[in-house]
Amino acid sequence: MRSPSFLRLLSKEFRELLASRAFWLLLLFVGFLVGHSFTTAVALYAEMSGTGGPAALPQGLTSLDGVLVPTWGAYDLAATLLFPFVAIRMVSAEKESGALKLLLQLPGTLGSKLAAKGLVLLFAWLVAWLPGIVAIFLWRSYGGHTYTPETLNLLLGHLLRGLLSGGLGVAAAAIAEGAASAAIITLAFTVGTWALDFVAAGRGGLVQQLASYTPTAALRSFEQGLLRFSVVVVIVILSCAAFVLAGIWLNIGQTIKIRLLTTLALLIVTFGAVVAGANLRASRDLSENHRNSFSTVDETALRSINQPLKITIFLSPEDPRLTDFEQNVLKKLRRSLDKLDVEYAASSRTGLFNSEEHYGEIWYELGGQKIVERSTIEEVVLDQIYTLSSVAVPDRSGDEGYPGYPLAAQPKHAAAIFYFFWPLLVIATWWLSRRF
Amino acid sequence: MLTVEGLTKKFGARRVLAEVSFTIGAGEVLGLIGPNGAGKTTVLECLAGLLPTNSGAFNYNGSPLSARHRKEALFYVPDGILPWAQQTVKWVLTFFERLYAQAPEKLAALAGPLRLEEIKGSRIATLSKGERKRVLLALGLLTSHPLLLLDEPFDGLDLRQTRDVMPLLRSESATGRTLFVSIHQLNDAAKVCDRLVLLNAGERVAEGTLAELQKQARLTDGGLEEIFLALT
Repeated sequence: MRSPSFLRLLSKEFRELLASRAFWLLLLFVGFLVGHSFTTAVALYAEMSGTGGPAALPQGLTSLDGVLVPTWGAYDLAATLLFPFVAIRMVSAEKESGALKLLLQLPGTLGSKLAAKGLVLLFAWLVAWLPGIVAIFLWRSYGGHTYTPETLNLLLGHLLRGLLSGGLGVAAAAIAEGAASAAIITLAFTVGTWALDFVAAGRGGLVQQLASYTPTAALRSFEQGLLRFSVVVVIVILSCAAFVLAGIWLNIGQTIKIRLLTTLALLIVTFGAVVAGANLRASRDLSENHRNSFSTVDETALRSINQPLKITIFLSPEDPRLTDFEQNVLKKLRRSLDKLDVEYAASSRTGLFNSEEHYGEIWYELGGQKIVERSTIEEVVLDQIYTLSSVAVPDRSGDEGYPGYPLAAQPKHAAAIFYFFWPLLVIATWWLSRRF
Repeated sequence: MLTVEGLTKKFGARRVLAEVSFTIGAGEVLGLIGPNGAGKTTVLECLAGLLPTNSGAFNYNGSPLSARHRKEALFYVPDGILPWAQQTVKWVLTFFERLYAQAPEKLAALAGPLRLEEIKGSRIATLSKGERKRVLLALGLLTSHPLLLLDEPFDGLDLRQTRDVMPLLRSESATGRTLFVSIHQLNDAAKVCDRLVLLNAGERVAEGTLAELQKQARLTDGGLEEIFLALT
């Protein structure tokens, strides 16, 4: 990897990146997107913090939810609609111009050539982060609070999101005849994952587990301050598999039959690796307000339950009570209990005009006993579980609450930075790069 | 140096090469001649490993040519490509020069006959067909493989440029390097090649020196055009 030829290949890919209009357009538009998201988020946060109206409860005001996630949401959009085109261009330009025929004969394996492309794409994605990083510093300069572990976790989520998008773009460009077809493949994949997200909501089982690794769902856990090792491993596996797939299809000296068979083998190996990775249960709650965990005393009490708990939910996927239950209770229970089985028993999608006999009920079964409950409030649910398992309800009075960080600041200088200086910097750098 | 035996290539049901066999001798300039659509480029791309073959064997110095050996043994310069179009000629040439650890004198020696000085600051995308061809030839000559495959090295060059390039190829061969060139201009082929392989409709029609081809065509006199017409 560190051979002189690899460094030369890396330098070639770097120059090709600088010659790519898609890259400069990504930089230009990402500045506008981040700028708009940031100014809107800061203004809304100020409004919620008490400027010109009633303030929200301070405990509900977190910089992560109020400013960082919406601002960096611009990168989710960029990773979906802009960055894949940078990746596609890295491969398609060489395929269409015939340069691929020279590239394949150059020193180094095809793997090292794809690694050079991957590293340069990673560099491109990190450069595109500059407006987002500037936004974080601006927020700090206004007096805004940030909590380093949850901020770094969010950045890790976007790094993986970019890695997956880049891999997907490169694979699509390697398989498709031209850049336009590659773009269609990439967008079809994205739309497919959105559809999977929608279909899997409130379904449970394999479909829901699969859907938790779609780019949007995977990013969501990082946005919640949760570091799930299974998500990290699965996204890295999928990204690497995408580059290997690109390698298979760029090996134009092989017959289509061999490429198809190798692709099939890759899919089988990737599926196995993803299933193994998805079984990793380790996770860290890096959010400052520990939103992904119960209180320390409850966590300790829950860990003492060894019997399997079965929860049967009679709530339809679009019922807001199910969303509450998922976010406030189930997500935490999955992290706290090793033996948890969740069944979604409602048959309708919306729950409107539902005449199912048990609709709205949530059944808890443990050690042959069953409790039926309708509440989705954390404390109520936990108390029911303690009753079933004969574990004493812990004393929660000592838990310190999250203070919250209200801030009524205006996004000073943000418009000038994101709408004027950033585009100017991008255009000037592009112009300078053309001279070398 | 390299023997090709029974090379067959099909695109779907269409057979474009049928049991083609020939030998490339060390240090020679071997010409692959034939009309458009004869399969010349396909032969070169199969040899370079850029196209899968249906059958056939390549032996390099007595051993089967594996993918790894191929990369060390030969380099193929395709015709009509536009590599790294947004880069300057100077950068692309320097990239190859450094990649193959060539001494600066090598590129300097190519600059005159290929008239690279006048285009070195231009981007590849802005070059004319002839200028691109000169850059591609330079790239091929900057590699260090014992066997260099050139697809239509004179296509796009004017008469004066062709006359400049021919001695360059001969002098490259004189250094011990083997050249295998596909050419459809028969007069040019006769001037630059030591031996020739005549391909027609995917089949090898003849192979040998000009004198040997004349004999095969049962001609006592006449150039390559007459031989070609007599044999195809």
